[in-house]
Amino acid sequence: MICCIYPREGFSISSKKTVKNVPCVFCGCLCDDIALEVENNRIVKNINGCSLSKSKFLNHLEDRLLGPAVRINGILVEVSLEKAVAHAAEALTSARRPLIYGLSSTENDTHQEAYYLAELLGGVVDNTSSVCHGTSMIGSQESGDPLGSLAEVRHRADLVVYWGSNPQFAHPRHISRYIRQPGEYMQNPKKDRKIWVFDVRSTATSRIADEFFQIEPGTDLEVISVIRALVRGHEMDIDRVGGLAIEDLAKISEAMKSVRYGVFFYGLGLTQSKGQHRNVDAAIRLIQDLNSFTKWVMIPMRGHFNVAGANETSTWQTGYPFAVDYSRGYPRYQPGEYSAVDLIRRRETDVLLNVAADPVAHFPRDALEHLKRIPIINLDPKRNVTSLIAEVNIPTAIAGIECDGAAVRMDGLPLYLRKIVEPPEGIIPDRDVLKLIIARLRMVTKR
Amino acid sequence: MSDGIVLRNGLVFDPANGINGEKMDLCISDGRIVEKEGAGAKSIDLKGRIVLPGGVDLHSHIVGSKMSLARAISPDYHRLDPVPRTKSTRSGVGYTVPSSYVIGYRYSSMGYTTVIEPAMQALKALACWEELSNLSNLNTGLMPMFGNSMLTFHYVRDDDLNGLAGYLAWVLRAVGGFGVKAVNPGGTYAWAHRRNIRTLDMEVPDWEITPREITRMLCKAVELLGLPHTLHLHPNNLGCVGNIETTLVQLEALRDIRGHAGRKQIVHLPHMSFESLGMVDNGSPVWNDVQSGGCQLAEYYNKNEHFTVDLGQITMGPAMTMTADGPFQFSLYKMTRGKWASSTVDVELPGGGGIVPYEYRPSSPANSVQWAIALEFALSIDDLWRCAISTDSPNGGPFSKYPLVISWLMSKKQREAWIRRLHPLVLERSIISELDREWDLYEVAITTRAAPARILGFSMKGHLGIGADADIAILDSKTEDTDLSKKPNRIIRLFERTYQTYLGGQKVAQKGKVLTTPYGHVSTIHPVLDESDWNRMEKELEPLMNSWYSHSFCNYSVPERYRLPFERKSILDATAISL
Ligand code: SF4
Ligand SMILES: [Zn+2]
Repeated sequence: MICCIYPREGFSISSKKTVKNVPCVFCGCLCDDIALEVENNRIVKNINGCSLSKSKFLNHLEDRLLGPAVRINGILVEVSLEKAVAHAAEALTSARRPLIYGLSSTENDTHQEAYYLAELLGGVVDNTSSVCHGTSMIGSQESGDPLGSLAEVRHRADLVVYWGSNPQFAHPRHISRYIRQPGEYMQNPKKDRKIWVFDVRSTATSRIADEFFQIEPGTDLEVISVIRALVRGHEMDIDRVGGLAIEDLAKISEAMKSVRYGVFFYGLGLTQSKGQHRNVDAAIRLIQDLNSFTKWVMIPMRGHFNVAGANETSTWQTGYPFAVDYSRGYPRYQPGEYSAVDLIRRRETDVLLNVAADPVAHFPRDALEHLKRIPIINLDPKRNVTSLIAEVNIPTAIAGIECDGAAVRMDGLPLYLRKIVEPPEGIIPDRDVLKLIIARLRMVTKR
Repeated sequence: MSDGIVLRNGLVFDPANGINGEKMDLCISDGRIVEKEGAGAKSIDLKGRIVLPGGVDLHSHIVGSKMSLARAISPDYHRLDPVPRTKSTRSGVGYTVPSSYVIGYRYSSMGYTTVIEPAMQALKALACWEELSNLSNLNTGLMPMFGNSMLTFHYVRDDDLNGLAGYLAWVLRAVGGFGVKAVNPGGTYAWAHRRNIRTLDMEVPDWEITPREITRMLCKAVELLGLPHTLHLHPNNLGCVGNIETTLVQLEALRDIRGHAGRKQIVHLPHMSFESLGMVDNGSPVWNDVQSGGCQLAEYYNKNEHFTVDLGQITMGPAMTMTADGPFQFSLYKMTRGKWASSTVDVELPGGGGIVPYEYRPSSPANSVQWAIALEFALSIDDLWRCAISTDSPNGGPFSKYPLVISWLMSKKQREAWIRRLHPLVLERSIISELDREWDLYEVAITTRAAPARILGFSMKGHLGIGADADIAILDSKTEDTDLSKKPNRIIRLFERTYQTYLGGQKVAQKGKVLTTPYGHVSTIHPVLDESDWNRMEKELEPLMNSWYSHSFCNYSVPERYRLPFERKSILDATAISL
């Protein structure tokens, strides 16, 4: 039985069809069981998707950037693609320290063009993980990474920990698809699989958990370190840490040692709270220690659907997962120095090329001040805050809806994304825009 | 049709055609070796330089999720070896786990033209194909792993050999695989229960089958299909002192299996140095009691023809261990207490493999003994046609150490110099210092070219006969380069950087510089089953996969879009076998 369409170049788009097993291009779960009903090149129904998925697919034509535009005398003026590309190339070549940023809401081929462009420019390329799970990378560079995978979690885990992560809100199907589903060796997950939540406040996830451990903000490192010490059999001469009693932590550590198969999911509550990569490092060391007693794995709850892909492509091309500087002609890596927010804060960046992200909406205020002063070339399908102040806007096709590509799930599984409908007329994938910029640049500079 | 090239006055070593250092001209046209030079062919005078077929590496980790994970945790390593961009090449990093482009460049400037990735996670094949589009200058092939897959176990438990063969065939087609790999069969699965399986007849948890049954059936299925390369088997109990015994038992357990169409070999034993750890008499399996098992394996090898081997030579210095042998990697981590990464893979590797950065130290007694194992083996075997040089890169050290490995094999003087730097235990626990044999160039050409190509079943590679792919390595030798065994540094220099490297008839590297970066092809095997058999497989696999994996059955295959630009598909007619 053929249950899906394998897209080829120029495959026909009939007026009415259902496409099954489509990967959802919203969050890091990359659920690939979405069925879409398409009528006249419009997605009219999303079956199986959560509310986030539905809004992404059904509203894909809303708030679109209509055509390439360049700011002339302070006003965005629509221009041809060629003109916009020439303007972008010009701005980039005249920059002293250009920065390419974003990449986690687009597909892998685009990343490869972005690295090539950064290399040609001698610029910096960074993806959005530098403001989310970049600290997880730094943690793993200290200690390693005992990574799990989602089907194995479903088949085997009897204890699921969510630390600083609220999947019911940010990854709505995570629990229903992988945790509450029975697995081959876990027939009755409701009864036999426990969910624990560690967080600083009660959340939608903590309310459905079997246990909720509320810890004081900023104490993740202490709490994890104490659990780790207890796992290793050390005596503690304090009564409480992070708001939890030592007796309770002792019970927690004993339980963690005696489960059959544990999994530690962690989110921004761990990676971006006080301690940052030290928190992740401590968690990794805890999970590694637990493996001396029983099986434990961990999985970062990646947000954007392809932020894991951005780390992976960057790693195989440059050796480093994010924050890569090419100014010396070879890749160098230094988060805090070559990461986007830090470069912008220090006012080093003089041109920003944004690809499929919205830095102006998300960066801290002091970075924003500088962003307002420099030319921004913005490649994104939609109008967003960045597009409002950009010097050049080039609208792009939406990866996984209007063009194909590959993306990586939070546990490292690569999936092929589909082209479901044609992009609006004249709009091309961001990888192709980057190729045009590169071609223009090479023509002008003979690099 | 291009006019081609004539390489004149080369000193050719082409063991597959029995050519041992003859002055010859080679004609190239359209990417192949041809009989006669075309009119207007470009002539290049090699002035007596040594000409070899392009190097063939049948076991080196170059792409895939474990490489990505290893790279991701190693910025400290990358910093030691930055690789700048040039006019013709991309930038990157080198050291133990180079970035994708750099792998291609470094192999190319060493004269290698074909490298097989021996441990692909079939489920993650898409990422491997993507990565190959960033790895130029090499022909490649990908070997998916089957030794711990629940689907393999499903067919083994039902004693359904045909079903297993059908499953292998289906996956090879779906992901563009070249051969069948098994790593610690059953043992890495057991690691999901935090256990290992060290002997052949212990049961795999959940499944009531044993490594013996898994290994035998995989081996039989490969022969039933008639894949050009035999089962590529990383045995159980790897990295454990005394494991030479397990290895011999495992090889013996396969000996009676009949090879496809009368071929004598039915299994390949990769990186033998890791599975030929001996133990002193009355010892226990601890590193203090290790001794070389190289001779013991050589003795068995000289008497039994059913297997082929690559060395997995330990080089001293930094390395990156990465295997799908989760329990082994964890025990290594417990020893080093450094970094430990691992990753489980849905259904196909439930226990997860592992990655541990490791440094082999000359001052370490255990590492010194390990160093001797593969050398002792290589210098004691009769038939070099079943043996290939490797370091199991980057496990025993990165592939860029091959010239050093070759110098050890070619020069007793070099071995003696190294033994002086090693821990003296190497003298006590191996016979390496007593071995006088020195490989000559012909033997090096066998074990780095002709033999690996033959072991892989490539008829167009590893030799320079008419019709072969024009993959050629020309060493920058001089006529006075005789008696190389006395000049180990000269050996290293010759193999470090070729005078010229040709890939498919195109000059790609010269004197260590990469000139152009064409993409080689990715060899895949495309088994064609009888239609009803194929339907049976689809019918069986779809519900099984949909219930076991966490993604859809129809998203398993690697789409053509990623394969078309590189794939060289060999159609394998398996319609005669009936499932
Ligand atoms: S959970 Fe995430 S990937 Fe799954 S449907 Fe919802 S938004 Fe999409
Ligand atoms: Zn290997």
